[in-house]
Amino acid sequence: MSSDVIDKAREEFFSEAQEIIEGFSRDLLALDDGERRGRHDPELVNDIFRAVHTLKGLAGLFGASRMSGLSHDLEEILDDLRLGRRELTREVLDVLFRAVDVFGQILLSERDVGKPCPPEVDTFLTDLRRMVRHQQAPASSAAASAKLEYDLDAGLLAVLTEYEEHRLRTCIQSGMALFRVRVNFRLVTIDEELERLKELAKPLGEIITYLPTGEGSDIEMIELEVVLAAKAMLENIVAVLGGPSVRVEELARRRAVSPDQVPSIVPGSDPAPEQLSHEAGSGARARSDAGDLTPGPAGGQALSLRSVSQTVRVDIRKLDHLMNIVGELAIVRSSLSKLMDRVRGQGAMRELGVELHRLQRTFDRHLGQMQEGILEVRMVPIGQIFEKLGRVTRQASREAGKQVNLVITGAETEVDKLIVEELSDPLMHMVRNAVEHGIEPAAERVRVGKPEIGTIAINAFQKGSHVLIELEDDGRGIVRERLLEAAVRRGFLSEAEGREMAPRDVFALIFLPGFTTKETPDMLAGRGVGMDIVKTNIARLGGIIDVYSEAGIGTKMTITLPITLAILNALIVQVGDHAFAVPMSSVQEALVHDPNATRLVDGREMMTLRGTSLPLARLTRLFGVEGRAGRFIVVVAAGARRLGVVVDHLEGQQDIVIKPLGRSLRSVRGFAGAAQLGDQRVGLVIDAPALVEEVLAGEAGKTSLGVRRDVA
Amino acid sequence: LVCAGTWHDQAVAEPGRAPRTQPRRAHLLERGSFTEYLALRLGGELFGIPLASVREILTLPPITYVPRAPYGILGLISVRGLLVTVIDLRMKVGTEAAPPTKRTRVLLVPGPENETLGLCVDEVLQVYRLSDGEIEPATSVLGTSVSEHVAGIGRREGVMLVLLSLTSLLEVGG
Repeated sequence: MSSDVIDKAREEFFSEAQEIIEGFSRDLLALDDGERRGRHDPELVNDIFRAVHTLKGLAGLFGASRMSGLSHDLEEILDDLRLGRRELTREVLDVLFRAVDVFGQILLSERDVGKPCPPEVDTFLTDLRRMVRHQQAPASSAAASAKLEYDLDAGLLAVLTEYEEHRLRTCIQSGMALFRVRVNFRLVTIDEELERLKELAKPLGEIITYLPTGEGSDIEMIELEVVLAAKAMLENIVAVLGGPSVRVEELARRRAVSPDQVPSIVPGSDPAPEQLSHEAGSGARARSDAGDLTPGPAGGQALSLRSVSQTVRVDIRKLDHLMNIVGELAIVRSSLSKLMDRVRGQGAMRELGVELHRLQRTFDRHLGQMQEGILEVRMVPIGQIFEKLGRVTRQASREAGKQVNLVITGAETEVDKLIVEELSDPLMHMVRNAVEHGIEPAAERVRVGKPEIGTIAINAFQKGSHVLIELEDDGRGIVRERLLEAAVRRGFLSEAEGREMAPRDVFALIFLPGFTTKETPDMLAGRGVGMDIVKTNIARLGGIIDVYSEAGIGTKMTITLPITLAILNALIVQVGDHAFAVPMSSVQEALVHDPNATRLVDGREMMTLRGTSLPLARLTRLFGVEGRAGRFIVVVAAGARRLGVVVDHLEGQQDIVIKPLGRSLRSVRGFAGAAQLGDQRVGLVIDAPALVEEVLAGEAGKTSLGVRRDVA
Repeated sequence: LVCAGTWHDQAVAEPGRAPRTQPRRAHLLERGSFTEYLALRLGGELFGIPLASVREILTLPPITYVPRAPYGILGLISVRGLLVTVIDLRMKVGTEAAPPTKRTRVLLVPGPENETLGLCVDEVLQVYRLSDGEIEPATSVLGTSVSEHVAGIGRREGVMLVLLSLTSLLEVGG
């Protein structure tokens, strides 16, 4: 019981730590990017500092000593950075980037208890320690000692953190003026609105701090007082930030404070000085803490802005469980529907039947909504892994001594969480490959007239019920002849086979196990293991991968994935007494089989469909089951290949919850799993891409899969 | 799902009675020097499997044939939403396959890697508590192809049970 609780807490710890590290990595990339463009964003450094600080706390709580040690040292470095005591050099950036990886490694070894931590983790920790101890001389204490030209409210100064004070002084020193902005936010949307405000304010200057004033026009609103340092004029700021709920005023420079006036940010210019002075300072916090003046939810919310964010973290298995229940409900539904048909068939119960029918329609609608809702919750933006890819690109290009720009589009495309998880390794591998094999060294690029910096572009977008991810590089491309040559040399195929091979199949050779054109394995990709694993991993997700390349111009790989794994719409077909489900995502169309339109070409059945040949496959023969005449053809596609599957009967479409076959059936090929079809019936789900490959490969043994079979 | 209805089934079909194979030693301590075996019929022969490894006994639900499945696998059934592979125990012990009858039962047992497997048998008879003295180790009397699955021979008042080792039986070609 108590160990359950601990496990759960640990699980939460891991997922939270993971999330923070991801954020850390994201900010780091942005920081790196900014530095390269000569823009220094103090806010990012501060975000990173805060992330590491939170990690430290978490790690301490869970006794993850390596992690808290690492966070502690990093925190010191970051603190120095944000307070201007240390300069952000390339070395420091590198250390931070490495720290992201080390965090990942530590997390892994903490998770699997007993798994030893790789030695490089400890090496890194020692290095880091040394770096911390070898502290730089304070870069410039000018900022720290710069006298404040403002008579800031003592209360305000008291609540400023050391960092905020440092930023305040730095800004004033660089000649910025201080403004006070009062903004009203709706409580429910405060997160986004505040972000928007920050974005708007960014070009103007820097937001030093913001505090709730404890006021709000009603209980759904909250007023924040923002202290902004900017070079711009008041009018400009009003123009940029202005809105009905925004009030901006400039803070006056040093002036003597009259003794009867309580210290205030804006002496004189404030419409209601007494009130302001009371709120601007610590009073604001104290008051909202007490919650006596702003009763109700507003008071409580003002206390902690964090609690305004209304998100819950959920274990994906719980969602799977919910999804299974929906699946079972769908089965109950179809049984009910049959029962209802029987009731309606009996004249005497006609009225009852009509009523039942109406009820069932409502039930249907709600069930559909529930299913949609759960699916929606499972969806996450694919951008989550793209961030990791940014890090990989940076690391790989540094190790390879190449300059590579990663351009990402479509990061907001949403995919099932499970798919995102499983996709990360293959994509990382592909990016490494592109850096290592694709992009040429700078000198070579200049020689052939390409820009010195290579580009890897990743684009994700939705297309129907699929998500497409394209990974394109402008490197040297794949030379088809060399690929063939290497394949022949390694005995994957004979020279004659190579000559007859279709161009698209030649590129597919890189997916053969153990295939590589690179002679020496190295740190990065190129060990001859990889693309086959990439392909297998993607196939496991029900996806396919295509390669196209032009020598000298670049390579493009396209991954096509289903949007979700949990539930899929399938066409139920019958062959003899056997029912099979074909995922609709693979079905292009269904036709009536006209035996007169088929011909035998080289011993294989083919038919012409709108001007192109369509190879046919009989499930009776493929699966060795007894069937009847085969009156229908289901056209399935895998990538650009199509196959007509001959079946006896089309039963219709149905949403199915697909379940994997157990260990005992692991060796069976051609099925993606099985699903309950109602009435205790279990139907096998046909793995259409595998079937297409199997049939077309069996054609003459000259396509890539045929080759693979021979090798295996 | 319908639970088997004959008297001996009821004796063992309480759900959750024996969720996992208990360690043998603990079992013996608890029950004295006895082991409980479930007697079942395959063709004309009687076999016994340790009762502790039987999770549930079902009447034969509709089975989905799985093309290309390894030898001895009858197909898939769904037990309250869980997919279970059904193995024909007759084929495993070398008896000829035969069509199911109304006495045919499926026993749910734990297989390798914690997969729940269904064993199809011709009939479930009763539970025998066999003392160590009533169990003979496997002898060469039996055919070689079978003997690796046989843990011993149990004898009780003229009845002879071939005691099967589930671990070996389910591992091979599983």
